[in-house]
Amino acid sequence: MQGFSLEMMTLYYLLVPIGLRILAGQNIGFLSQEIYDGTFTRYLIYPVNVFVYKSITYLTHSFFYCIQFFFIYLIYHLFFSQGSMDPQSLFLGIGVFFIASISYMSISMIVELISLWADYIWALMVMLRFFVTFFGGGIIPMDFFPEWAQTLLSYTPFPYLISLPVKTTMKLISVSETINGLMILSIWSIFFFGIVHLMWRKGQKSYAGVGI
Amino acid sequence: MMRYLILYKYFLRFSFSKAMEFRIDFFFRFLMDIIYYVVNILFFQVIYLHTPILAGWSQDQMILFIAGYLLCDGLNMTIFSNNIWWFPQLINRGDLDYYLIRPVSPLFFLSLREFAANSLMNLLVAVGFFIYALMQYQSPFTALDFIFYLFMLFCGVILQYCIQMLFVLPSFWIQNKRGLIDFFYAIALAGERPDRIYKGFVRVLFTFIIPLSLVASYPARFFIEPFNPWLLIHFFGIFIIFWVIMLTVWKKGVSSYSSASS
Repeated sequence: MQGFSLEMMTLYYLLVPIGLRILAGQNIGFLSQEIYDGTFTRYLIYPVNVFVYKSITYLTHSFFYCIQFFFIYLIYHLFFSQGSMDPQSLFLGIGVFFIASISYMSISMIVELISLWADYIWALMVMLRFFVTFFGGGIIPMDFFPEWAQTLLSYTPFPYLISLPVKTTMKLISVSETINGLMILSIWSIFFFGIVHLMWRKGQKSYAGVGI
Repeated sequence: MMRYLILYKYFLRFSFSKAMEFRIDFFFRFLMDIIYYVVNILFFQVIYLHTPILAGWSQDQMILFIAGYLLCDGLNMTIFSNNIWWFPQLINRGDLDYYLIRPVSPLFFLSLREFAANSLMNLLVAVGFFIYALMQYQSPFTALDFIFYLFMLFCGVILQYCIQMLFVLPSFWIQNKRGLIDFFYAIALAGERPDRIYKGFVRVLFTFIIPLSLVASYPARFFIEPFNPWLLIHFFGIFIIFWVIMLTVWKKGVSSYSSASS
């Protein structure tokens, strides 16, 4: 169906949950929890930018999930797959997932920073995950969506967060399509980091450092 | 019985005042559940773009099934879910003592003390969608069919509560802050799909061992399909077994509870 055999579908649904872990990096609350506790203050006196510090921590988690992704893919190919493994696609796919995690982190930061004004943002983060998972092709591959929906979603960052890296790993798209997708994702990331910057400039003035 | 009803009235009052304390969070959680409902409906809409029948059901039958499990989910989220979430943490911190010494059933208290007021709003939305699904349903049905469907869904919610509790009760022994609840969430999706899509061992797993498929799928089959007595025996057999197992594990857990935090 839609060019997916049973084996391809199995691999797709095996890669998606691990890919989601790469994207999500750290748990919900990697910024907001400390803002609510009032312990965020310590980053203001650290000799390093708070967002650089938080990004490195986040991406370290993502990197470890990349290793997990590699081994699970390897085990699948050794014991369950009938086709041959393409190391180039695998490494390219992992690389795309890692870059996608930077973009997802930028979106997460926007939502997490809302905690400077709102009581609790946990539900907002869960909403973000719902959106990314469904509109990114995590619940059902995007090829099953109607043509108009696929076109519409191609203007959003969602398909480049899950569908692009999984399809790259499975060699369902060409290298030029992957590069094209990465360029779109990069533009979105720059835009999101811009919003993070603006929010932080505004938000730090309203940060009391007391906690709730 | 009356004493417990009065106590529950106090739980409700306390939960509503607590929810109103964080109004933005209340609104966000309401929105979150609405998006969850929309995503679930869209999922099946996309599938039906490619096939007229799924698991032996047409689209209007499937919508009725979705409405049924959203209703179950709404009830579970409103009545039990928050309480079950805190359960392993109370054990881990040694805070269970405060509940064990009260002159009411600790299981009643711990399972029902927090009523999710924000989820009540979603429950109303789920009820609305359920009515819509019934109005869209093309086959004839009687009032008795409808009442029986609601009754089976209610039993499904209790069954789901038992299953979920069995994933947190091991906290008495493993001293984990979350019990095995993450494992439960990872497989909970199985209950949101019609049981007929599962074959072989997976079918046995979700209809006997971790019977999530019985929660909403079996009640929908009673409503949509001709009456099957074996299905009813299977449903209530599993229901009683899981209720007894849950109570037994709870009692064993309490008797081995050390009251020490870790």
